[in-house]
Amino acid sequence: MIDIRHVYKRYHNHHGSNWVLEDIDLQIPKGVSVGLLGRNGAGKSTLLRLIAGMDYADKGEIIRDCQVSWPIGLRGGFQGSMTGRQNVKFIARIHGSEHSVQKIIAFVEDFAEIGKAFDEPVKTYSSGMRSRLGFGLSLAFNFDVYLSDEATAVGDKAFKEKAKKAFKDKVGQASLIIVSHGEDILRDLCQAGIWLERGRAHWFDRIDDAIAAYHQSLERKQA
Amino acid sequence: MRTPLAVTWSVWRALFLREGTARTSGDRFAWFWMLAEPLAFVIVMVAVREMLGRVRLIVGAEWIPWLIVGLTAFFLFREGVLRSMGAIEANRALFAYRQVAPVDPVLVRNVVEGILKTLVLVILIFGASLLGHDILPSNPLGALNAWLAMWLLGMGAGLVVSVAASLVQEIGMVVRMAMLPLLILSGVIIPLQTFPHHIQQYLLYNPLVHGLETLRLAFFHNYKSLSGVDFGYLWYWIIGSIALGLILHLRFAHRLKAQ
Repeated sequence: MIDIRHVYKRYHNHHGSNWVLEDIDLQIPKGVSVGLLGRNGAGKSTLLRLIAGMDYADKGEIIRDCQVSWPIGLRGGFQGSMTGRQNVKFIARIHGSEHSVQKIIAFVEDFAEIGKAFDEPVKTYSSGMRSRLGFGLSLAFNFDVYLSDEATAVGDKAFKEKAKKAFKDKVGQASLIIVSHGEDILRDLCQAGIWLERGRAHWFDRIDDAIAAYHQSLERKQA
Repeated sequence: MRTPLAVTWSVWRALFLREGTARTSGDRFAWFWMLAEPLAFVIVMVAVREMLGRVRLIVGAEWIPWLIVGLTAFFLFREGVLRSMGAIEANRALFAYRQVAPVDPVLVRNVVEGILKTLVLVILIFGASLLGHDILPSNPLGALNAWLAMWLLGMGAGLVVSVAASLVQEIGMVVRMAMLPLLILSGVIIPLQTFPHHIQQYLLYNPLVHGLETLRLAFFHNYKSLSGVDFGYLWYWIIGSIALGLILHLRFAHRLKAQ
């Protein structure tokens, strides 16, 4: 379970500092996959980073009593000058899997299907290749909760299918928290939804309700 | 669940292997320059002195060994500071993993740099003594102690500067610029013994002077250093700077990670 208790977050900059997240108070139960919805800039990625422990709340706290992955996505996570293989090795080591490094490398190499590029520096990768590598890497560990920040958005069709299947295979052992604008993916993989609007979070037990609420807010905007 | 200590240890191990590989395999010129820089300095300084014809002797030590010991020890300190400054920026991508704290790459880089610079010193000592210079330390244990102190001082300053320069970019530029005057004021290439006494008094506020002179005293048995060289004074700076650096890292850990 992930317990988010009255979390506030803002970023300081030169033109004031409005709350990006304001009084987020949620419990994400064990085994429930959640989709995060909201307009660009609504704070979806920020919330995901806070859950991952990459960033810290200004007020409130987040309690994780399970193994949570890093946010799998496009930005960051790899050292550009190191090869894919070296990055995988490094990340396996910091996760304390020293004895199974070779197994993890073999798994990622097989899953990512990027061929010889695995031994090229990551900065030469296309965004699709990076996403394949990051995705494969996260699956090599047995996390209880996987965080995905548009991880599959840039993948081709075959990869999207593969990723979806990989996640479906994990159902029962692991759950997901996904930021995505692909509503089909959300419907496919998530049970519950969180709709973020102006720094506030609204919890929906069914993802369809969250998507509906999001759509309504967009229509109201247009009207 | 692993203990915090186990997590930290595996992060350090992973970073050490990464930095070590990057430093020794990635940049071949860096390897060459590590040895070439002190050598180039020695050659230029010897040439300058020969041309000026002002061969002022250093009491109790040979000129070239005196220069080699001072230069390598100063570079040990300087690299500790400058490499630390780049450590946070270079490893920013890795802060995506909550296990990695900004202080980790700084500490690990200092260890890697310390090992490499020690190797350089050993190679230069070996080379110079083959060429017939009297450079073998007369008090090896004392030399080791002073060398360690210079390394720790670089690490302490590096810890402080790595935070300061990440928060305020301009500080990094000032620190870089300060290195050359510091090289001269620390008596690395010009013996401070030749300065008038009332200036020496002020120069002795610089902890580097105490470290370098203690190191030279350990190397050269009959060496006549400045009066007022105090190894203990250096340790106040070491403890102070490491403590301040770690406090700054604790205080600003969130901001350094989030940037």
